[in-house]
Amino acid sequence: MPSAKEIQRKFTDLKTLPHVAIKVTQLVNDDRSTMQDFEEIIKLDPVLVTRLLRLVNSPYFGLSQKVESISKAVVFAGMKQLRNLVAVEALRGMFKGDDADFSAQKLWLHSATVAILSGMIAKRIFGKEGEDIFLAGIIHDIGLIVENQVVGEQLREACKAFREGKGTLPECERNAIGADHAEVGYLLAKDWGLPQEVLSSIKSHHLAKQVKSVSSTGSILQLAEFMSSKMQYWAIPGPLEALPPELTEHVKERVADYKIIIRDLPGEMAKAKELYESDE
Amino acid sequence: MTEPTFDAIFDDLIDANEELQRFLAIIEALLPEASMLLVSEAGALLQGARPLALVSPVRERLVNEAKATEGFVAGKADNGARCHAVYLAKLPAVLIVACAIVQEEDGLPGSALATLLRNTVELALYRQEREMLVAEHEQSVRQINILQQQHGKLIEDNYRQYRLNQDREKEYARKLESEIAKQTAELREANARLEEISRLKSDFLANMSHELRTPMNAIIGFSELLSETPLAEEQLDYTRTIAQSAASLLSLINDILDLAKIEAGKLELERLPFDLAEVIGNVAAMFKIPAKEKGVAVTCQIDSRIPKRIMGDSNRLRQVLINLAGNAMKFTEQGGIDIKVDYEREAAGQIVSRFSVRDSGIGIPADRIEAIFEKFTQADGSTTRKYGGTGLGLAICLQLVELMGGRLTVESELGKGSVFYFVIPLEEAPAEIISLQERKEAGREKASSGGRILLVEDNAVNQRLASILITRQGYEVEVASDGAEALEHLRNQTFDLVLMDVQMPNMDGMEATRKIREIEADSALRRDYVGLRALKEPLGIIGLTAHARKEDETACYEAGMSGFLTKPIIKAKLALILNEMMPLVSCLADKDPS
Repeated sequence: MPSAKEIQRKFTDLKTLPHVAIKVTQLVNDDRSTMQDFEEIIKLDPVLVTRLLRLVNSPYFGLSQKVESISKAVVFAGMKQLRNLVAVEALRGMFKGDDADFSAQKLWLHSATVAILSGMIAKRIFGKEGEDIFLAGIIHDIGLIVENQVVGEQLREACKAFREGKGTLPECERNAIGADHAEVGYLLAKDWGLPQEVLSSIKSHHLAKQVKSVSSTGSILQLAEFMSSKMQYWAIPGPLEALPPELTEHVKERVADYKIIIRDLPGEMAKAKELYESDE
Repeated sequence: MTEPTFDAIFDDLIDANEELQRFLAIIEALLPEASMLLVSEAGALLQGARPLALVSPVRERLVNEAKATEGFVAGKADNGARCHAVYLAKLPAVLIVACAIVQEEDGLPGSALATLLRNTVELALYRQEREMLVAEHEQSVRQINILQQQHGKLIEDNYRQYRLNQDREKEYARKLESEIAKQTAELREANARLEEISRLKSDFLANMSHELRTPMNAIIGFSELLSETPLAEEQLDYTRTIAQSAASLLSLINDILDLAKIEAGKLELERLPFDLAEVIGNVAAMFKIPAKEKGVAVTCQIDSRIPKRIMGDSNRLRQVLINLAGNAMKFTEQGGIDIKVDYEREAAGQIVSRFSVRDSGIGIPADRIEAIFEKFTQADGSTTRKYGGTGLGLAICLQLVELMGGRLTVESELGKGSVFYFVIPLEEAPAEIISLQERKEAGREKASSGGRILLVEDNAVNQRLASILITRQGYEVEVASDGAEALEHLRNQTFDLVLMDVQMPNMDGMEATRKIREIEADSALRRDYVGLRALKEPLGIIGLTAHARKEDETACYEAGMSGFLTKPIIKAKLALILNEMMPLVSCLADKDPS
């Protein structure tokens, strides 16, 4: 059976992340990078330029004047927003292809819901900047896409076993494939050079026991995962993992807050769709 | 998909009646005397802190009636107390309240108590809603805080990037500076190398000119001598051709040497007084014969406001004018050539004058005017073939005029003629200076000839040529082939004059001259030299050199020579200098008429 590393390596042999995604991530991590550096990279990709301009000119930014230059847009959007824009663009292309047993499109919808919910929880309840966690949400299940490409047969076996209640999804994956999507996704994101907190939250998003702090990226991701699955935006249909008691307690304490988040979610999703989705 | 609700998502986690329980707690706090019961939509019974006992038929009746109406429905509790039920759609649930202080008749709808109760319930409901609003407000505050933080970070980021850019610019400027410094150093080095190469080139040219002049000396001299022997017409013609070719070759060599000197920056103009009219007259006179042959008139004219005697380099001025007039003559078939010096203005004590040479020749096409000042170029290729010449003349003139402080310019019209002109400042010569030229002229007046001459020359051909020329001038000649031999001759014989070649093996002319001067200065030594002991004045020594440079001449005088003659030896020049230098005492023969 292949190791997670082998699966990830096979995948990157087949599909490489767009240069722009890697470069922008590097720039975000580099203290000495300037907006000009971002501009240099972004302007090579017309699709990104369009999206960036659309983003900063959206009502969300509420700017009084229309932004038409790339450099200005980069300044307004901020480095992390820009990185997320690029990441969404890069990942969307990978979440393609549907069949009866595995729907990449549904997985994309799941990832987007988790990303938006995580961002909302981080911002509205914990008062934290939500960009890193948004990225974590978007990318947390990339391991499934990798496995679908490299070991598609075994993944379907694992999904079937999971549906029939023969264990958690990672357990079923490890039985059928030899690795799980959390580990594979973690390796891919590490290769990409994403921040440490994003990496560990990808790795731990199925490990209910490892809740350290309710406000950590990993906890928020788990909560969002739970909520989106409850809303039928699930990654792989099957028995739902229970929410860890710490998180249950947290939700009970903040009922009003979560009611508001759930109330506002459809609006936020529509907004995100407008900003991130392509015109195709 | 239907819009998700909180209850749908967290149904497993959270007791559905928890919210009702909270409402109950709120209203109980508002009505401390009352006991109450809350019946949920699903029929669950929630008892308050002070429970209200109701038998189920009564309870069911109250619930059903309350749901059907807007207001309160009255009933009786198990303990006989009056109770009221009301349906709260917002929860949704039916609230049944029993209050001890409520009198029987007060419970009726519309009574003050009913209004109070209703308001209390409303208040409790709003309290719960307020919780939501507070949560929403808090969320908004948190989001605003994030935005403020992000805004702060953005400003910080911008400032940081501004600093980064500044640093980068500084670094770039530093790099640029060091790069410029490096390139400047490289250029300086390259420049020094080029200067060295240029110096080597001009040295080479100087040496070459020496090497070329020596055989030229022989060719010119012997062809001159040959033409004076009895010859057949044909032979005479050949001899003349040889002489003419050699003369034009010599002038070419001189041109090249001049140009090399100018380009090496080694040409210096003399500043001696001379007669301007005489120079102009000489130039015009030179072209008298060809002008007569062609039927072209040569005129010259000098503005009367220009002083007669001026300071400057008469030879170079003459060279320029000869060149211009020569060109004019070459390209003019009919009409005339005018050489003119016009007064322009006076500035800073100098008379700014305009020299012009006008011809009525073929003219120069407008697009070729610049080219004619280039080296080795004439107006066009066919002209070169028709008119001959190397095209060096104007290039030299241009440079010489520049050295004189002017600019050589040409105006021309095809078929009508050209005028070459330049404007230079002239300075009047102080009256007391009498030029070398004039001294020479004074020497000529002596009309004396004859005497013994010691010729010191290593080259056998030159020995023969010079001997013949000297003999022809009417002098006796003795030959020594180097400096040491010359001293030997002086030990035993007397001479009136020494012609001393500068470049010789063994002891060169400079050293020999210095030796002779030493001997003359030392009375003890002088006694041993027959040729020196009887002399009252220092022995006349004329240096002979192929190097025509000014510094060569200076070096000769510094070594103690009394005269200077460039090779190849031209008969006329030799006659002039011998005549001048020969001491007056010895007049043995008549002067050669040429």
